[in-house]
Amino acid sequence: MFDITGSITRATKRADDSAEASDEVDSESTEGSASTLTGEDLVLGYPTSDGPIVDGATITAERGAVTALVGPNGSGKSTLLKGLANQLTPDEGSVLIDGREIHTLDTKALARKLGLLSQESTAPGSITVEDLVYHGRYPHRGFFEHVTEDDECAVDNAIDLAGCEHLRDREVGSLSGGQKQLAWIAMALAQDTDVLLLDEPTTFLDLHHQLEVMEIIETLRDERDITVVVVLHDIEQAARYADRIIALEDGVIRARGRPTDVVTEDLLAEVFGIEADVESTDRGPTITPIGPIHDNRDADAPDTSADGSQ
Amino acid sequence: MSNQESTPGAEQTTRSPRLQNRFGWLFDPQLLAVALGSLAIVVIGGLIQVSFGSYSMTITQAWQAVFDPNVVLNLEAWNAFLFGGELPEMSTESLVVWNIRLPRVFVAILVGMNLSVSGAIFQAVTRNELASPFVLGVSAGAGLMILLTLVVFGGLTAFLPLIAAAGGSVAFLLVYAIAWKNGTSPVRLVLAGIIVATVFESLQTSLFFFADDIGVVQSAIAWTTGSLTGTDWEQVRLALPWSVGALLLAVAGSRQCNVLLLGEQTAKSLGMSIERVRFALSGVAVLAASASIAVAGIVTFVGLIVPHVVRNLVGSDYRKLIVGCLFVGPALMVGADVGARLALTPVQIPVGIVTGLVGGPYFLYLMRKQQQMGEL
Repeated sequence: MFDITGSITRATKRADDSAEASDEVDSESTEGSASTLTGEDLVLGYPTSDGPIVDGATITAERGAVTALVGPNGSGKSTLLKGLANQLTPDEGSVLIDGREIHTLDTKALARKLGLLSQESTAPGSITVEDLVYHGRYPHRGFFEHVTEDDECAVDNAIDLAGCEHLRDREVGSLSGGQKQLAWIAMALAQDTDVLLLDEPTTFLDLHHQLEVMEIIETLRDERDITVVVVLHDIEQAARYADRIIALEDGVIRARGRPTDVVTEDLLAEVFGIEADVESTDRGPTITPIGPIHDNRDADAPDTSADGSQ
Repeated sequence: MSNQESTPGAEQTTRSPRLQNRFGWLFDPQLLAVALGSLAIVVIGGLIQVSFGSYSMTITQAWQAVFDPNVVLNLEAWNAFLFGGELPEMSTESLVVWNIRLPRVFVAILVGMNLSVSGAIFQAVTRNELASPFVLGVSAGAGLMILLTLVVFGGLTAFLPLIAAAGGSVAFLLVYAIAWKNGTSPVRLVLAGIIVATVFESLQTSLFFFADDIGVVQSAIAWTTGSLTGTDWEQVRLALPWSVGALLLAVAGSRQCNVLLLGEQTAKSLGMSIERVRFALSGVAVLAASASIAVAGIVTFVGLIVPHVVRNLVGSDYRKLIVGCLFVGPALMVGADVGARLALTPVQIPVGIVTGLVGGPYFLYLMRKQQQMGEL
């Protein structure tokens, strides 16, 4: 009975805490807990590449919506994502989160608002999933600070949401590719950001884990009101789960809008170079690829130096 | 009543093991075993060191001297040891043990801690399993300054420890400057280290031709291979403050190392100011390496191998790894110094030769045993 009292007190306390926390967020951001992320006239490139990879892209990730970036290999979608995440300084243009330029924010302050799950993810094999997820709390902790109750709640929530409770004490090195990805997603979730950028989170995963990941993204949007920008290889997946699709080709945005408007037979032919049937169903447009279109687009191929550096 | 008050707290601790025990991870059974095993080696090695030497006494006499209450519990004696005050009167045995033989063991302990922690940090900073404390030019800079001092500026020999440490630090800054181009990367740092080391080592070798007598050459070799011969409380006093500072910072920075290991992009997206952290961690590692160079010269291999040994035993969590290094490093150094001092009595060889002879084969054993080394 005492236990019950105890846990109720604690629950109230925690509710207070989170209310305070969201108050803070409110005062920082303009409205609500979710944020808008905008890239304006972004020109992005690498020091090693000649010419920009992304040439003048303007992109808005709407608050609490899932925006998918699609495009063929070397179209600059990962580069654009890196630009949005402040991993790559734009040659021109700017990235704004709730109206503030991201590079003016302190690195930790930015990391409390904006998270990135990159493709390059290497962890020493002998750390546990729980330890990995705790690293997601890095931006919330000072140099000498230790784990607080907030950290614990965030980690528990993240592990729960990513559905890797059963992996909690396993070593990262012993996991399958799909399980590893769930652990990394849990780490990004523990960061507790308003905006989450994901770079090809489903590539190389088996179907089961691909769907797991997409389901997590749906939950994030529906229940957490988080703004998600996700680079996807599978355009059908994008069509099914995203609210907005942005299609890139050669660093230029070719189409944007609702999946039903963007995913068309014409666009697939133009941007992806495939002949396909598009049928609209209640799970969004479904695509039946028929074959590649052989025109002289391959003649331009040597120009896609972005492939390697992406 | 009191029960009612204590219940929420008690429940809280069971619910949150991480909160309840800030340092809970320290009580990892493997880490404890490593620490105790290493301590045993240090104690045994230390007792062997104090029992033998040119002043002959029986083992019982020597051990009695170690635990001589007149010294151990004498504040004046400790004042003399640690702050260079007047040495109180004591028996000859105690004097030999406490003033000649034991300080060498303590210096070995400090050097072992510094080098292995320094190596562990550099392995995280450069994300390279083959990194050692000397990967960013520290040994080359120190070696060049040692030779310059001994051969050219003979008058400055008294300041050799400081000059060597300073040379190492300057070389490290030079390496950083060369590697810097809108920021650094692990590969650029390692390459810059190789560039600086190549040039400095050539200069250093060329200086040997200008040495006029064999004594200078031997002294130079002792410094550049690392030796504990003739170390004294003065060396303890010289290295102790820097070591304490560097090692505390290293323990505090272990979480940063862990995040660095997640990869540059991930560390950045977690909000780490990666260049600042990398430079600060390197600075701590250079400080530790310099403290050991100042008292023992350039002891190789300890900083490379100890982190590997510890990683194999306790895993790659840097919080445990650094703590493990604080124990295994001294074990290797004290053990190796027993060999360096006593194996070829009356000749003492540089301890760096022994660490190489012991470390090489052990590294080979690890390499054959593990399919995957380290997994950094």
